[in-house]
Amino acid sequence: MTAGRRLHRFRLAAGTDGKHSGVTLSGASLRSALKRMFNGLLRRAPMDKDGVARIAARQIYILPTRIGMLYATTVLVMLMGSLNYQMNAGLLFAFFMASVGLVAMHHCWYNLLGLAISVRSGPAVFDGAAALFEVTLSNERKGSRYDLRVSGGLDASIPVALDAHDQRSIAFAQPTRRRGLLWLTDLEIETRHPMHLFRAWCYAHAQASVLVYPLPAVAAPPPVQDSGNTHRPAARTGEGADDYLGSREYRSGDSVRHLDWKAFARERGLVVKQFGGDDGLEVWVDWAALRTSDPEERIRLLTRQVLDAEAANLRFGMRLPGTEIGLASGANQMQRCLRGLALFDDGQTKPTPH
Amino acid sequence: MMAKQNLLPIDEQPERYQTLALVTTVSAAYLPLARYLNWRVTAFVALVLILRFAAVRWPAAAPGRWLLLALTFVGMANCLLANHTLVGKLGGTSLLATMLALKLLELRARRDHRISAIALCFVVVVQFLFDQGTGLTLYFSAIAFMIVALLVDLNGGMGPTPIRRALPVVLRISLQALPLTVVLFALFPRLTSPLWSLGFDHDRATMGMSESMEPGSISELVINGDLAFRARFDQRPPRFDQLYWRGLVLWEVDNRKWSPGRVGQYRPADPVLTQAAERIDYEIVLEPSQQRWMFSLDLPIERPPNTVLSGDFQLLSDRPITTAKRYRLSSALDFRTAVPDEAERRYALRLPDATSERMMTLVKRWQIETDSDWALVQKGLDFFNREEFHYTLLPPKLGANPWDEFLFETRSGFCEHYAGSFAVLMRIAGLPSRVVLGYLGGEPNRIGGYHLIWQSDAHAWVEVMIAGRGWVRVDPTSAIAPSRVDNRGASRLFGTYAPARFHIDSTGALSIAIRQLRLLADSIDAAWQRSVLDYSAAEQTRLLDRLGLGDYGEFALAGIMVTAVTVVMGLILFGLIRQPDAIDPATRCFALLCRRLAAVGLVRHTYEGPLDFAARVAVARPDFAQSVNAIVDLYIRGRYMPNPVAADIQSLSRLVKAFAPTKQR
Repeated sequence: MTAGRRLHRFRLAAGTDGKHSGVTLSGASLRSALKRMFNGLLRRAPMDKDGVARIAARQIYILPTRIGMLYATTVLVMLMGSLNYQMNAGLLFAFFMASVGLVAMHHCWYNLLGLAISVRSGPAVFDGAAALFEVTLSNERKGSRYDLRVSGGLDASIPVALDAHDQRSIAFAQPTRRRGLLWLTDLEIETRHPMHLFRAWCYAHAQASVLVYPLPAVAAPPPVQDSGNTHRPAARTGEGADDYLGSREYRSGDSVRHLDWKAFARERGLVVKQFGGDDGLEVWVDWAALRTSDPEERIRLLTRQVLDAEAANLRFGMRLPGTEIGLASGANQMQRCLRGLALFDDGQTKPTPH
Repeated sequence: MMAKQNLLPIDEQPERYQTLALVTTVSAAYLPLARYLNWRVTAFVALVLILRFAAVRWPAAAPGRWLLLALTFVGMANCLLANHTLVGKLGGTSLLATMLALKLLELRARRDHRISAIALCFVVVVQFLFDQGTGLTLYFSAIAFMIVALLVDLNGGMGPTPIRRALPVVLRISLQALPLTVVLFALFPRLTSPLWSLGFDHDRATMGMSESMEPGSISELVINGDLAFRARFDQRPPRFDQLYWRGLVLWEVDNRKWSPGRVGQYRPADPVLTQAAERIDYEIVLEPSQQRWMFSLDLPIERPPNTVLSGDFQLLSDRPITTAKRYRLSSALDFRTAVPDEAERRYALRLPDATSERMMTLVKRWQIETDSDWALVQKGLDFFNREEFHYTLLPPKLGANPWDEFLFETRSGFCEHYAGSFAVLMRIAGLPSRVVLGYLGGEPNRIGGYHLIWQSDAHAWVEVMIAGRGWVRVDPTSAIAPSRVDNRGASRLFGTYAPARFHIDSTGALSIAIRQLRLLADSIDAAWQRSVLDYSAAEQTRLLDRLGLGDYGEFALAGIMVTAVTVVMGLILFGLIRQPDAIDPATRCFALLCRRLAAVGLVRHTYEGPLDFAARVAVARPDFAQSVNAIVDLYIRGRYMPNPVAADIQSLSRLVKAFAPTKQR
């Protein structure tokens, strides 16, 4: 709970970081402070120990939609006209439509009442790709619920209907804007059932996160070959030999045979594979070996190195200030390294304000 | 346009059946309007709707933006051409109908459908300006239901088979709205006088009886199937032949017609009845006629408030009757009026210019043969009875001197011919006489306990001044020999209707059944009129008085209304929430198992899944292992498998109930 409060809603964070970067610092911070204060006032359905949030009566917000306003205006005009001309049949009709509106409002509210919501994190993604959460809505009562949507997702939300004791899972996509953990703390569920006159919504407390790997650089210099405490000879046969070392951007004169077509297909541009060294080479993806001044750029280069090393099936390790991941190979090693890079924080870089 | 349509989000794209349902509902709501609108407007709207229906089938038929704009101008011009105005009741309604029909031509997103469905409410409500009868109200209840259904269906999110799922939702909403509607209707404070007026009442044609009587004017009424008024007697209703409903009194006669004549005759006067007996109290609900006169049983002795009773016993309202009017009054069946003064006498003796020689001779002969006024009247009635006079609703056309022609040549006609010519004859004889227009009889509705007086009951009779007796009612039409009454015209003209005064009763079972049905329908109509259409600020005040809150006026009413709405809404909500959160049977069985195991000391931990728990139980009490495993197995199947089998749940329930763990000794 306290952790959830400290990590305020990611939508807010995305807003202040992305859209308002041009606004002066004081304005932006004031606005974000106000938003944070407002967010603190919102009622949220807390999560129980099974990870399910159940919507209680006072956690539901409701406001008329535009169509609802039009409807209310229509009813009001009919009412005034019928009153004025003492048309009791017209009055009856106007009152019926008004009553329908009132009843619809309560049905709208009731459609969310007691809904059980749980959220599961999806797999890790690279920065820029959509992070997926699995939102499960379950109906624990006898009556059906209709037109439930999770709002704020990347894709157009598709309404969900739940019969008695039914449950549905929805993929809820969020944009990623930086590496680190993307937290989903608040989930907004909305409904316009039954007549689209009112929109009821509620916030469910969620505790789910998706790990966002850094966006890999297009190309990176070859990693440092293991030259320290190994007994392999450092003899090199020069570039162009058999073993894959890394990749760099294409320069005119490079052999077309060394072009990384797969990288090209992934729209990373023209990249040349660099080969050399011996079979079964061991490399270190090393923070200190890079000269780039921008730490985030450096992390992106390191990420590329990790990916390339794994693609070349090398044994590799990673050294970051304060951490070191020993030599190993395979997908697990890559994930360990990427995780390290995603969560890396040496005090100067700001990895996870999500 | 197609490109635009493709840009809509999936859940804003309407289904074809939704468009079709909306257009059909709008067309249905337009149908009753066709009776009132100018044919030009009706034709334009019909064309637009046909185009719309075609566009549902062939989307290419939908007009583009420019054509639509042009059509809008054409539609407006058409309204202007038809009504010469765009405001007022007819003008405004025509414009509204045209515009909504055109709006249907640009139905793209569901939003457009929603807006059209809501705008349809206006089309419904303006039609109540024309007619508020039960039939139309029932019809529009169906339309209202359709509007709710359309809005629910358009919101979607119902999963597969949306219509089947939407229907219970619509029914629930509509039924729950009904009690609220009643509360609001009863308690919402009314206006005692209109806030504004657009002059809606002026463009309405007058209905019912006209102000003068010329041969042929009542026959139009007699073939009219409309209701004139309803009457409810406090006591036993009078005999049928005593039910002379008095309306207008005609004093002046010329070569063509009888008319009220006398200027200032509507001036209030206190008519004097020298003798009145058999007082009868009754209530009348008069259909709107746009005229001022009201009807009363011959002769009224008390007048209702806001009315005038003139010297010749005509009951007149302060202002034209534009909505159904209910009033109570009393009459006397046996009466003697005061003797009129000399001026009135002379006025009641004026003759038309073209009094023919034949008429003079006829009356002369009667005068010689009789010695008293009353005998002379009898002589006149005898004349109608003896000679070959026929009663028919389809009389031959009369020429320049209708009274003479009728008496001596055509000799067929109905009440207005008889009354008109009889009064002329009496005047020739020197007896002051006048013609009274009104209704005779009425159809008793035993279901509703009242009488129905139809326009077809319209009648005319004569009042003759007899010395010593005052004005005496004489009905020359009743003097015709029944064998010479020809009602073929009537039955041909209005089917089941026949003038009630001739007791043409069909005895067939079918016609009796139809008659009963018609009476039942009218009882409902009357109840509707009494309880809904006549409900006004006065009834609300009476209600407040009964509650002892009369002094607080509208505030008390508003207070009660808010309270009542809250209570009803609370009850509806309570009904919603009270539905128990039915736990599914598998969970219930598992919970029972856990309770029973807990009783013997095996408590399930919250973090423990059913399988883990079963494993722990199996270790702790190997003797339970078999049954607990079987139960948990069934529970998991019933709870978590996509399609639980009912048989599994049943055996699960049986197993759990049979499982009775005992404590280890």
